[in-house]
Amino acid sequence: MKHLAKEGIRPLEASQKTNGKKWNLIEKLFLGLTLDQYVSQFIRNKFNWLLGIIFVIGIPVIIYRFIFGLGAVTHASYDYPWGLFLGFGLFCMVPLSASGFMLGTAVEIFGRHDFEPIERLALLNGLLGYLFAVVYLLVDLGQPWRLGYPMFYSFGPAAVLFLVGWHVATYLSVQVAEVSTSFFEWIGWPRAKQFIRKGAVGLTVSGIILSTLHQGALGALFVYAPGKIHPLWYSAPFQWLHFFVSSIPGGLCMVIAVSTVVIKTMSWRCDERFIKNLDKLTISLGKGASMGLITYLVIKLIAVAHENEWVYLTTGWGAWWLLEIFVGVVLPLFLFAYGIHHKRVGLVRLAAFVTIAGIVLNRLNTALITFNWKLYQEVPHVFEVIISITIFAIYIATYRFILNRLPILYAWKAQPVDATAKESVAVGSTLDQEQELPAGA
Amino acid sequence: MSKISRRRFLAGSLAGCAAVMAAPTSKALASGNLAGFPDGMGVLVDLTRCVGCRSCEAACNKEQKLPAPDQPFDDYSVFDQTFHHGTQKRRPTEKAYTVVNRYESKQSDKPVYRKIQCNHCNEPACLTSCFVGAYTKTKEGAVIYNSKVCVGCRNCMIACPFHVPAYSYSSATDPVVKKCIFCYDTRVKHGKPPACVEICPTQALVFGKRAELLKIARERIERHPGKYQDEIYGEKEVGGTSWLYLSGVPFEDVGFDTTLQKEPIINNVKDFLATVPMVLAIWPALFTGFHLLSTKGKSHGDEDQHAEQHEGGEQ
Amino acid sequence: MIRNTSWHIKGVLLLAGCLLLALPAFAMDVPESVEIDILADLYQGVEFDHQMHIDLAQDCSTCHHHTTGTGTVDLYCARCHNTFEEQATVACQDCHLADPFSAEAIQAKGETNLFHVDVYGLKGAYHRNCMGCHEKMDGPTGCQDCHARTEAGDAFYHSGKYAPPIATQADHEE
Repeated sequence: MKHLAKEGIRPLEASQKTNGKKWNLIEKLFLGLTLDQYVSQFIRNKFNWLLGIIFVIGIPVIIYRFIFGLGAVTHASYDYPWGLFLGFGLFCMVPLSASGFMLGTAVEIFGRHDFEPIERLALLNGLLGYLFAVVYLLVDLGQPWRLGYPMFYSFGPAAVLFLVGWHVATYLSVQVAEVSTSFFEWIGWPRAKQFIRKGAVGLTVSGIILSTLHQGALGALFVYAPGKIHPLWYSAPFQWLHFFVSSIPGGLCMVIAVSTVVIKTMSWRCDERFIKNLDKLTISLGKGASMGLITYLVIKLIAVAHENEWVYLTTGWGAWWLLEIFVGVVLPLFLFAYGIHHKRVGLVRLAAFVTIAGIVLNRLNTALITFNWKLYQEVPHVFEVIISITIFAIYIATYRFILNRLPILYAWKAQPVDATAKESVAVGSTLDQEQELPAGA
Repeated sequence: MSKISRRRFLAGSLAGCAAVMAAPTSKALASGNLAGFPDGMGVLVDLTRCVGCRSCEAACNKEQKLPAPDQPFDDYSVFDQTFHHGTQKRRPTEKAYTVVNRYESKQSDKPVYRKIQCNHCNEPACLTSCFVGAYTKTKEGAVIYNSKVCVGCRNCMIACPFHVPAYSYSSATDPVVKKCIFCYDTRVKHGKPPACVEICPTQALVFGKRAELLKIARERIERHPGKYQDEIYGEKEVGGTSWLYLSGVPFEDVGFDTTLQKEPIINNVKDFLATVPMVLAIWPALFTGFHLLSTKGKSHGDEDQHAEQHEGGEQ
Repeated sequence: MIRNTSWHIKGVLLLAGCLLLALPAFAMDVPESVEIDILADLYQGVEFDHQMHIDLAQDCSTCHHHTTGTGTVDLYCARCHNTFEEQATVACQDCHLADPFSAEAIQAKGETNLFHVDVYGLKGAYHRNCMGCHEKMDGPTGCQDCHARTEAGDAFYHSGKYAPPIATQADHEE
């Protein structure tokens, strides 16, 4: 796209072309480029080559899983029923997708509209994260075609998983509604957008409720197995709080991470408002993340004290726990503190990536690595790894597809900014009630 | 005045809350009352009587129509089998709902044998962790499983403290949990003992009412001091199980997990489940309050500029 | 004096003498061998050499508890069963039920006026009683040492000609 920018071609960012005619859906899908332009920029992009290789290897393996069953692609056993699909795909992706309710709350509930440039990105991050967590779940379930059973066919309401299922399903609807405003802008249905906006506060409050409960519930799932998880990673009264509180820095750092990737690889898609405010917002997000991290550190230590588990710290597993806490919590805290204080955005971004690694490590430790710590250790099958990477690649591709098109990183306009036109855009188009004034007007 | 009129705000919040309320809140089980199955049956397994003949494995295989075993049931070399680099002995699988293992103990000259199968707990962890209610504890005491609703989440395998449920991973079209069902459909429902109990030649297995079996077990311990460990395994473990064990040697020597909690597994999650309705009730007012407190009179961002333009005049 | 007694009297006295000697035999019908096949199904019936066991054990109460009138060897039992009376029930199956887990039997376990609730069933009694002694006296302890398997038994145990092919019998090490 940088190549095309040199030729003076701007990506689609308004409902009308420079000649006043409206874009149609196909043209919108192709970013307003001709087929030639689109295909050649697609091929020029080396990242697509990497995605292509992953898909060529991974998609047949996924098909293989569905033909030959879980036994053919995992090391799932009677003692180790859960592997990478849930350990990574569900337990890691969900806390990293907590960005939706965090930024939604900041903007809609607390009125911090200075976060608006990044709000839509956070909402999309949340939606896609949960959506693909469900995709991972569908690959892991023994009978995925029965996923709807706990919703309307056979209930087991005492189970924590029941709560997770219902809340994730409801929360997905809430997130779809929240992201739909950008979709309705893009597709040209402003009345639908208004309808959703009326319920924005209600949707956001629902999102907070649902997120609190299911982030915590994912932690509570492990409380069913007291002897199987190492005591340092297990806490009967506090497990749900550990998972919920760690999701706060998780979501915020994921927004920082994604916005970093975006600004470095697709800045052509970002409008001035986004680019100008990003550094400041990154630092603000970093402040929120560090508050979450210090809280998380304290409640982890409280849990160790509560069960008097200090002696475990002298063991091998204890050293591993200390490493996870240091790398995942303490190190980012120092990086955040220095970066925020000295306004070093690069450091804050680094801290965010380290935090994400720490949360991923924590979830993998709880679900896989320290699970059955008294038994033999299980190692995921290579096909499990391939499928997990492939689904993550599909997630990235979907993410990019939407970011390229929908007004997430840029503000949607009625008419394109024409370098030759000095006046601001005309007001009064009957269908587009929302007039987004061009930047600087 | 807030940018959103009171009417619109209420409508939006109610819509949001309705969406949340539509999700059923989890009911914590009214557990803690372990007298819930007064006529529940059980089996007392006396490990001093077991001679390791494996007839119970054969009987189970026939009764439950399981596939042919890899070795004959009178092949005792299976007792030497180990798995996962020698760390594990045999365990129940999708093809064998019960297995007998042999153990050596310093407190016995002869080897000791143990029969492993589902213990049919009073408050089964598998049942309480299943989100489609695939497990049922019948009034006879059997914990049975409905493969027609199972989605395959395998949470029951995570929850079972005895590592009992097996899963037919090899099937792509109908993988289900496989475990001992106490011969419920064919026998226990009709008052008959399970197949393994009936076949046992040395009556190491005794079938009867759980309450009676506990009395019998205590009598055996009292009658033969020194012969038995002064403990009935399964009396209190994870809230009590229907299959009870007496042993002449320490239970750890025979592969039992003696570190299990005495309360049912569901007790661990009850506090969290009780928090759920509290959050559902408190969060709406809490965050709506935050909203009203923090946004009064402030600008309302770009998303709703149109709304502001219309309501700018109202104060 | 015997020579002077008439041959009628000698005959009667001889007969009476024989009868006296045979008295114990009339008092109890002790079989020399017993066919134990009431539970035969997977295994054939047992040809039990009763006479040999009588010679080995000497004391009937070793196997028959107190029922043969010879008293009991167990001090715990002697607290109640302290008479030397021969019982009407001597055979194992008279007290040890062939079906110890029937509904009636389970119901009986709840009877509070019954002392013997933890009683072996017939199959358990046979095995426990026999094997207990065999282990001490180096007798046969293997299943087929006492009773050979039937065809149904071979199928049940997936053994003999019903054994799975050798290929699947490879030692299992993952």
